[in-house]
Amino acid sequence: MTQSEVIAQLQPIFDDLFMERVVLTPELSAHDVEEWNSLLQISIVLAVEQHFKIRFRVGEAESTNNVGEFADLIARRVAEK
Amino acid sequence: MSRDTLESSTSPPPASGPAISAARGVAELKELASAKDRRFFSALRDQTVAAQTLVDVLMLASLRKRVAQRGLSPEQQAIRVAVLGGYTLYPLNELIGHFLAAAWYPTSYSAEFLVGDYDNYISEIIDESSRLSEFRPEVIVIVPSHRRCAYSGYLFDPREKQEGEARATAAHILELCQTAHKRTGAEIVLFNFPLPGRSDPGPYRTRTLGSDWNFRKLTNLELGLNAPSYVHICDAEFLSARRGTRNAWDARAWFESKQPYGPELTLDVAREAAHLIVSLRQSPKKVAVLDLDNTLWGGVVGDDGLDGIEIGDTSPRGEAFKAFQQYLLSLTGRGILLAVCSKNDYEKAVEPFEKHPEMVLRMKDIVSFKANWQPKSENIRQIAADLNLGLDSFVFIDDNPAEIEIVRQFLPEVETVLLSEDPSEYAGMLQDARFFEPKSLTAEDRERVGQYKQEAERRELLSHVTDMGSYLESLAMEAAIREFRTVDAPRISQLINKSNQFNLTTRRRTEAQVQAVIADGECFGFTVRLADRFGDHGLISVVIGRVQGQEVEIDTWLMSCRVLKRQVEEEVLNELVRLAVARNCTRIKGVYLPTAKNGMVKGHYPALGFTATVATDDRLEFELDVPAYAAKPTTIKIAERSYDSI
Repeated sequence: MTQSEVIAQLQPIFDDLFMERVVLTPELSAHDVEEWNSLLQISIVLAVEQHFKIRFRVGEAESTNNVGEFADLIARRVAEK
Repeated sequence: MSRDTLESSTSPPPASGPAISAARGVAELKELASAKDRRFFSALRDQTVAAQTLVDVLMLASLRKRVAQRGLSPEQQAIRVAVLGGYTLYPLNELIGHFLAAAWYPTSYSAEFLVGDYDNYISEIIDESSRLSEFRPEVIVIVPSHRRCAYSGYLFDPREKQEGEARATAAHILELCQTAHKRTGAEIVLFNFPLPGRSDPGPYRTRTLGSDWNFRKLTNLELGLNAPSYVHICDAEFLSARRGTRNAWDARAWFESKQPYGPELTLDVAREAAHLIVSLRQSPKKVAVLDLDNTLWGGVVGDDGLDGIEIGDTSPRGEAFKAFQQYLLSLTGRGILLAVCSKNDYEKAVEPFEKHPEMVLRMKDIVSFKANWQPKSENIRQIAADLNLGLDSFVFIDDNPAEIEIVRQFLPEVETVLLSEDPSEYAGMLQDARFFEPKSLTAEDRERVGQYKQEAERRELLSHVTDMGSYLESLAMEAAIREFRTVDAPRISQLINKSNQFNLTTRRRTEAQVQAVIADGECFGFTVRLADRFGDHGLISVVIGRVQGQEVEIDTWLMSCRVLKRQVEEEVLNELVRLAVARNCTRIKGVYLPTAKNGMVKGHYPALGFTATVATDDRLEFELDVPAYAAKPTTIKIAERSYDSI
């Protein structure tokens, strides 16, 4: 799965979680979106794990700096399955 | 009330439907929020109550907060809550806050939180200069660290040492609660410890208090049994077991952010803590108002008649209704009142309570009985007036969604439980609805505890008896012997057709053939029901006698094997002789017809004093001389005899 394919699947998950429409790009990070607080961060990780049926290893989800890195991580975990 | 006879035109459209799928739910909520539609809050409540995953609740919580920022909030009561513990207490506090705000709408609580620092709860409570007193909490939630609830020694240490440490652990936690309570006057919601879900150290865990499994269990027991009334246990042990202990602990979440539990248990404990906090403010429920048809029994008594309704051990469905009635009856032991509200003719509706042998609930158990054709909301209002109780102490229970909706519309203070299509679920649904949970001991309860102690001492004596006679005496058996009655025909026929072992002749009979016996002037038939101090065994024996001149031939004699050796056989013979005498007979003839399964009763008649007269391979016959018979003494108290008019 490519980064952009993952981001395409992330978009509806974010649409569900955020009130405002957030258009995902690889460069986007939590700092760019006012609504993206720690509560939403927890929800995003849980919802992504549920959707892609993967489980991140300890510490790795929080070490990604933007949507692109997050999508790459998801792609790696999906590829391992 | 059955669905068939329901007047659906009187039912308004539901204002807030049942839970809908999460995705559709969120879309609907967002729409309502954008339109600033106040129905947002009832939809939010329904989805919050139904939510099963942490993601769903976090999503709903975020949505609610965004909506509040835009100026859409329900009317709220403020409440101050401190959350302290051995963990990162965020987002636990957010979740508790969400349930308080959303799950009891139209009542909604706006919680202001003091969130304790990670693992700093002990000093936050003990240190008088901490911010706790200043915060003036109404409730303090304490989540003690599991790291302080583990045995410090070895698995194989002496039990006394391990036990002492578990008791000391619990005592220390309860001391903290006491200090927190004294400093602030707050009620304490205390989390106990979830059970560990990993296999080590194997089944040996059960044999030592040194294992986390047993150490936590004993600590939890000590906490619960010794908690003073201002401590309300949030039972993480129960919740972890109910969900599955395997995911109760989430090592990754612990290492990443010092979370206390996995996502599911986090959700469950937050919901539970909110429930405990809300129960501090809400008055308890006192009355269960019950529908009748398809709620207390299967079928419609007005259409199917007394003999046609399903209740009791004749069928699985009947058993399920009976079990539901037993659960309802058990609620009366907690001080809950039962009332009836049914669309029925009064005479028809009371008949099962007065006459049906399998009913558990009787008229004496019902404090108010409304069976008429008025709207149920009106009847419930009347019941409340009769009992002089507020409508907010009522719970209405019905299988008919239209009736539930009418009550929700017209009496919003009354809580409702809509029963499912399957009566086997009824008791469980009511148990999980959580309306009738006991909270703390009343003076009356304490008095009852005293009575229990006396009773326990008596039983202690009884438990030492070793000879059979004293054992039977201790059972306090009571039997009702009754002639065949039309209403019992299904149960009689059922027992006749399923009894194989204790069955002298194995003659099968349909319900219609049982009715024929009732109508036959040459025959008599009686049943025995037996109860002892452990409960009711129901209908356990069936006997049919045929009168031929001076002789009674025992056509059928069968009994349920679970009451073997209880002297029921002797009492049956006493009754047979009594009926023989009443019919001027001098002999009783017993017949044994061997089958593959009834070998256990081959010696039945000789054991009772009959003399053998005929013996062939396929038939044994015996005879008893009636005038010479002396009634056999037993320990069974006979409450009722058959053909009493004789």
